[in-house]
Amino acid sequence: MYVEVEGLSFAYTREEPVLKDVSFSMEKGEVLAVLGPSGSGKSTLLRLLSGLDMPNEGTIKVNGAVFASKNRYVPAEKRKIGMVFQDYALFPHMDLQKNIAYGLKHLRKDEREDRVEEMLSLIDMENKKRSFLHELSGGQQQRAALARALAPNPKLMLLDEPFSNLDADLKGRIRDELRSIIKKTSMTSIVVTHDIDDACAIADRIVVMEEGRVSYKAPSCGK
Amino acid sequence: MHKMKRLCRQWDIFGVGSAVALLFVLAPLATIALYLFSPPSDAWAHVREHLLRRSVVNTALLIFSVAALSGVIGLLGAYATSRYEFFGRKKLSWMLILPLGVPSYIVAYMYADMFSHTGSATRFLRRFGIEHSLEVMSLPGATFVFVITLFPYVYLLVQSALKRQSASFLESAKLLGASPVRRFFTVVLPLLRPALVAGTLLVVLETLSDYGVVSYFNVRVLSLSIFDAWFRLGDVDAAVRISAVMLLLVFAVIFVERFLRGRRRYGFNASPRPIPRVKPSKAKRIAISLSLWLFFGIAFLVPLGQLLYYAYLSYDGALGMNTLYLVVNTLSLALASTLLTVLVALILANFARGRSGNAKRAFLKLSTLGYAVPGAVLAIAVMLVSLRLDGWLHPLYRFASSESGRLILTGSLLMLGFAFLVRFMAIAFNAIEASYDKVGDSYTEASRTLGVSKLKTLVKVDLPLIRFGLISAFIIVFIDILKELPITLILSPSNYETLASQVHRYAREEMLQESSVPSLIIIAISSVMIYFLTHMKKEGVPNVR
Repeated sequence: MYVEVEGLSFAYTREEPVLKDVSFSMEKGEVLAVLGPSGSGKSTLLRLLSGLDMPNEGTIKVNGAVFASKNRYVPAEKRKIGMVFQDYALFPHMDLQKNIAYGLKHLRKDEREDRVEEMLSLIDMENKKRSFLHELSGGQQQRAALARALAPNPKLMLLDEPFSNLDADLKGRIRDELRSIIKKTSMTSIVVTHDIDDACAIADRIVVMEEGRVSYKAPSCGK
Repeated sequence: MHKMKRLCRQWDIFGVGSAVALLFVLAPLATIALYLFSPPSDAWAHVREHLLRRSVVNTALLIFSVAALSGVIGLLGAYATSRYEFFGRKKLSWMLILPLGVPSYIVAYMYADMFSHTGSATRFLRRFGIEHSLEVMSLPGATFVFVITLFPYVYLLVQSALKRQSASFLESAKLLGASPVRRFFTVVLPLLRPALVAGTLLVVLETLSDYGVVSYFNVRVLSLSIFDAWFRLGDVDAAVRISAVMLLLVFAVIFVERFLRGRRRYGFNASPRPIPRVKPSKAKRIAISLSLWLFFGIAFLVPLGQLLYYAYLSYDGALGMNTLYLVVNTLSLALASTLLTVLVALILANFARGRSGNAKRAFLKLSTLGYAVPGAVLAIAVMLVSLRLDGWLHPLYRFASSESGRLILTGSLLMLGFAFLVRFMAIAFNAIEASYDKVGDSYTEASRTLGVSKLKTLVKVDLPLIRFGLISAFIIVFIDILKELPITLILSPSNYETLASQVHRYAREEMLQESSVPSLIIIAISSVMIYFLTHMKKEGVPNVR
């Protein structure tokens, strides 16, 4: 298995645990949707996978490498896991191409430029590379955030409620775009959402979370 | 026709009030501009040669070093108290604002005295066999004084910007592999830039405006030259011309900042996820805590200690009717001027609400321009306006009373209050506008759709919702007026003294012990107000957006 999560538990200090004994696994290239109401712990799961928070118990393995276990914790900046934040978190003081290049510091200048161009063409925004965040539409911002996260070629991609900031009439088209971009790169991805339609449209497989547990492993929506 | 109608409808009570306010602000500035077109006096060539050049160089040196140092210190202080957990963090995070309540000139008097040949610090060091050669009464000394008294402007604005900075920016950078140092320099710092620049700009404007410190230290800067031209040489023309040079300098600074900012915008999302504080290693915690306490000691406790000692030596003579008279004078002047300022700012803020576009922006920029105008310049401008008004109104005075003198407005408290209004309205306006921004328009709109008039909505709905902004506006302006020196010195009626002007007079006559009690009263009032400001309950206004 490419991603293996075993017995993951997490609590903010002295509170009711937010995650209780969560386990699941994923194949390489699979797109998994984690579906659940707000407060079910799905965003916390992403924070543990990305390394932004440290689990109390359990192990996280990606591509054979142990990221978190009883005696091992790899910090976020060393994991090479990409994440698209709910509010996109595009840096407002940099233009699009600088945003995309931010995670490519390890590359030579020409390689970096090539990679940025590649990403821009992937999201079909070559003509926007000098635009700032406030000059982009909601859908464009989302694609930009995706491109920035994809650029360093992460081992795993996490998307936190990627459609919550978009208008309903845009959503259908953008969902398809997002799925096609992810599939084009065959990126192993986890999408967190509270909307079953989003989950069905974008994922190969769905897990349902409730009150910090994986309560029901749903099959795909029968597409 | 249709357009005209719409325009007319916009001119409600707030519109008219704002237009009057704008006229008030522009009149003094226009007077200065007009003066420049008249031929220069004979003395001008002399002044330009001997005063102006050195003043410009010194002013530039002073504002550059004060800006750089207070920028760095304010930033580090705010960053440490917002992002790290250490001993005394909570206390320090508001106490570091206290130096703002201490007038720079009082700190200047104390440090100059302590490091003088027979001063307490010199004697203390001598006990350990150390002979210092520090010359506090110099340009570097003035820089030191301005930095330790003005850095809280940067500190405050950066602290509040850090609070609004969403965690997701930092986390994003982290996931993209950036090290802590790179995160600080490529994400945290650039996002703080507007706050950092705004805070530093306030520091620069305050430094330019100062008269108390530079006159005591005899540092030849522009504001000192304006005073000298006006009072020593009696050359109004030269004073106005130097003022114009100073204004050009101020606008150049503001323009350069705007230009450098370019197309970037630094908007944050409305409901940021707060960034949790880190607890660094014990050694680091102690180092952070110690350095901040040490700095607080130098900026606040040391001058305060010296003042308390002098007050102990001199309180017999100082606590009398004269002091009571000063306190009543100062408080009533500050109270009346502050209320007027906040009221006008409120009218402007209401006018600004729900309007957008370039015309509005220009209107607001112009009406809040007064803050950028150094105190001495503004005082002279107001003086010119009031002289002219007195000239026009003279027949009226004669009509009312045949024995009436020529000058009624000039040298009256009314003009002093007017100058304060022009100078400090921007501060009040910004505080109130920020509050309105936070509350949003929906409550007001709900009230209007329920059939309640604009004015009644203001009283019943808006004012309770923005009370925090109103109170902060009041406190900040009040403290500023309490400390204000150059405008007070130039525009006060003769024989009219405030705490600040009295402190200045004592210090000029080398009666530092006598100056301690009025100084302490200023500091006490400001400190209580700052405590109140920082401990006020800010809840009760739900975030609508």
